[in-house]
Amino acid sequence: MERIEKPLTLNPIKLSQPMGAMLAFLGVKNCMPLMHGAQGCASFSKVFFTRHFCDPIAVQTTAVNDITAVIDGGERSISEAIENITKKVTPDLVGLFTTGMTETKGDDIKGATYLLRDKQKIAYVHTPDFEGSFESGWAAVQQALIKQLVHQSKYSDKSKVALLPNVSMTPYEVECVKNALAQLGLECFALPDLSTSLDGHLGLKQGALSSDGISTQEIEKLGECGLVLTVGASVKSGGELLRKKCTKMQHLHFDSLSGLEASDLFYKQLLDYTGHKKPPRSVIHWRKRLQDAMLDTHFVLGSTKLALSLEPDQSYALAGALQEAGGNIETIVLGQKGEYDFDALSKNVRIGDFEDIEALLPKADAFIGNYHGHRLCKNAGKVHILRGFPNYEEVGNQLKSDILYEGSARLLFEVANSVKLAAH
Amino acid sequence: MVNKKLIHELLHENNCSHSDKKKSSCDKPKPGATSGGCAFEGAQIALFPYADAVHLVHAPATCIGASWETRETPTSFKGFNNTKTGYCTQVVANDIIFGGTQKLEDAIAYLLEHKDPQAVFVYETCVTAMIGDDMDNVCARMQKRSGVPVVPVHAPGFVGSKNLGSRLAGETVLEYLIGTKEPEQIHPYGINLIGEYNVTGDMWQYTPLLEEIGIKVVSTLAGDGRIENIRQAHRAKLNVIVCAKSLESLTRKMQERYGIPYISISFYGMRDTTNAIMSIVNAFGDEKLIAKAKEVTAREEKLLQKRLQPYRKVLQGKKAILNTGGNKSWSIASALQDIGMEVVATSIRKATLEDIEIAKQYVPVLMKVPANEQAKLIDEHGVDILLAGGRSLYTAIKKKIAFVDVNQEKEISYGAYEGLVNLAKDVCDAVNNKVFQTVGKDAPWSE
Ligand code: SF4
Repeated sequence: MERIEKPLTLNPIKLSQPMGAMLAFLGVKNCMPLMHGAQGCASFSKVFFTRHFCDPIAVQTTAVNDITAVIDGGERSISEAIENITKKVTPDLVGLFTTGMTETKGDDIKGATYLLRDKQKIAYVHTPDFEGSFESGWAAVQQALIKQLVHQSKYSDKSKVALLPNVSMTPYEVECVKNALAQLGLECFALPDLSTSLDGHLGLKQGALSSDGISTQEIEKLGECGLVLTVGASVKSGGELLRKKCTKMQHLHFDSLSGLEASDLFYKQLLDYTGHKKPPRSVIHWRKRLQDAMLDTHFVLGSTKLALSLEPDQSYALAGALQEAGGNIETIVLGQKGEYDFDALSKNVRIGDFEDIEALLPKADAFIGNYHGHRLCKNAGKVHILRGFPNYEEVGNQLKSDILYEGSARLLFEVANSVKLAAH
Repeated sequence: MVNKKLIHELLHENNCSHSDKKKSSCDKPKPGATSGGCAFEGAQIALFPYADAVHLVHAPATCIGASWETRETPTSFKGFNNTKTGYCTQVVANDIIFGGTQKLEDAIAYLLEHKDPQAVFVYETCVTAMIGDDMDNVCARMQKRSGVPVVPVHAPGFVGSKNLGSRLAGETVLEYLIGTKEPEQIHPYGINLIGEYNVTGDMWQYTPLLEEIGIKVVSTLAGDGRIENIRQAHRAKLNVIVCAKSLESLTRKMQERYGIPYISISFYGMRDTTNAIMSIVNAFGDEKLIAKAKEVTAREEKLLQKRLQPYRKVLQGKKAILNTGGNKSWSIASALQDIGMEVVATSIRKATLEDIEIAKQYVPVLMKVPANEQAKLIDEHGVDILLAGGRSLYTAIKKKIAFVDVNQEKEISYGAYEGLVNLAKDVCDAVNNKVFQTVGKDAPWSE
């Protein structure tokens, strides 16, 4: 992979590790994500997700300041924060995660959590923003919850499935997987579960705590699942960790659920697991529709050059789905390395920033990526298909799905139609 | 280096309306009960509108990664627009161990070579302040080498709130830029607009009127600002603070240093805009100027009344509750009254003592805990519209009354005369919108 040399980042693609962690905690029911750092990180992240999801977002900060930064090893600001939080609300879980600042200090959050164990259930995780990424922060929370909350279980129930989605999966995509499993007679617990918390439903949105999601009791009992399912390379090791803890569990990993081949693999493995011969009729029918969609769109896609910039898991999934329908992936620009063979998808794969994207855009017809691509595409006269974080431009993005047969078909239509409409 | 003495002084600024409260109430945020942005964000708000300067953030991923290209502060600058650009040194684990000074120097050198900036602002953040990178030294060296101002901004998030950060940014501009260049001509009625960031083009709603009257905007901090102009700000005759008490210490120091008096005004709503313009000309005391200002404001008010007519028909006598923070708690209230609405109550939950004082003059009921109070007030007064942040939406839907999210990033300006028409239109559209009657209907299966 080539890296464009420049001694700074100009318009970063990369999102920070603590932000990934925060989003993960928002998929746990009645949780208060608590960012251990100075107040600004939580504030920026809160505004970021509020605008992306168009919904109130719960988060608190330990508000470390220049004085406590020196005299406190973390225990004081953390215990004070818990005290102040519990004065107003009663969280089932506090999700404590660090920032670059408190990691530089070297705070002992494990110790602080231990001291407070009788007062408040807390899960803690190290997520400095001078390393890792949006994906790794999310994955770190999954692993922390598995290590710290999941009970070891003596028996396992084959009909129960633990699902570890990656950070880029929309709330609705998580629901789509849950529904697909339900159709096969499996009950699914997503860790975390944004499909009920940040799916944008009308409710009593006070935003003081996360509104719904997987409950802590459900997390504790995840060990009873007969199967753990991971989607995206960034969350694979979380699945392995759970399986190690609960050895009766089986682990199925999928790099992607987008496109015909990826969806086929998903159903093949799950049919094997359940012993069903065939999926339900509607699934069979959606597969045929996807095949038809591939043929309907292949001509436009085949003559379109696509530039893509998303988190590695989502980049891989979308590039794969578009490529198998004839799309040309002209370039992929990533904020950080992923664990994929991206070179098989495109000749031009880079780690870079939006200045790099701007420079590469003239060679492409359409760009798939976040809100920051909008201005660039407008200036360059390119088609912009919005995916990823943040999306301040569109509403309803929590209900987009690019996965399994149905979502993949709709993705192909959306890309082909956007390109066609722009051409006329 | 973070200037502890300066921070202490700014926090106990006698012009700060916080300062007569208990000392600790406005300086240190409470763990687990804090919602505002950090000092770095405040500095960013204050300085990023300079489109001709590069804003290099010396930080790991969070500080700028989540915040670039999020502010609607338009500029008329024809060159490369740096306000919409996120420059970041991307500090990584290695820099924590070995220091990020070299990285910073390389970044500045690159920017000076490739971006042709009028100045480079270098923002310190929590991590880089903690590892002790010697920004001052690097900046001074790079400035000397290039002749371009390279200005270190020491407002790392952990020193305090957004408000403090804006003040620190103001002090930085005073220390490093103001007075570093002499103008060719000194205008007799030249002003500096301080704390006007031109959000959604607010400033452009009134600056043409000022120019028409004969007032010249010498410089701004920092809406649609230029570095060259702020360097000459010491030759202006009056400092005008726009809705931003936080920068009063800066203007006070400019008074001490350069003898420039200052006034504090707001351009929200018709009455306040007229008052603002008159305050400026009165400060100069020139008869001709005053006469011209009277003529222009009278003309604009008349024009505005005519343009508001169609909205007034719908909104006259309609009752509103306002639940928002800071100076918006009264400035929007005053604007709503100008459209003919009755403002039943406003929130003072996050307002300063000064804002509360002003709010009292406009609105009869001041809500301390709006979440508990507003539902009851809606029933009691038969309120028609709730203007609040997203969290209150559910209250409006339950009460089946119209709702406007006043905290949402706006795309159009509500500032000055022209902006009032925009506000009237938005409120009118909300009142007429059927959705608030239908969306909260019970489901057919509900009991
Ligand atoms: S609190 Fe510190 S680390 Fe967080 S955004 Fe502000 S300056 Fe950056």
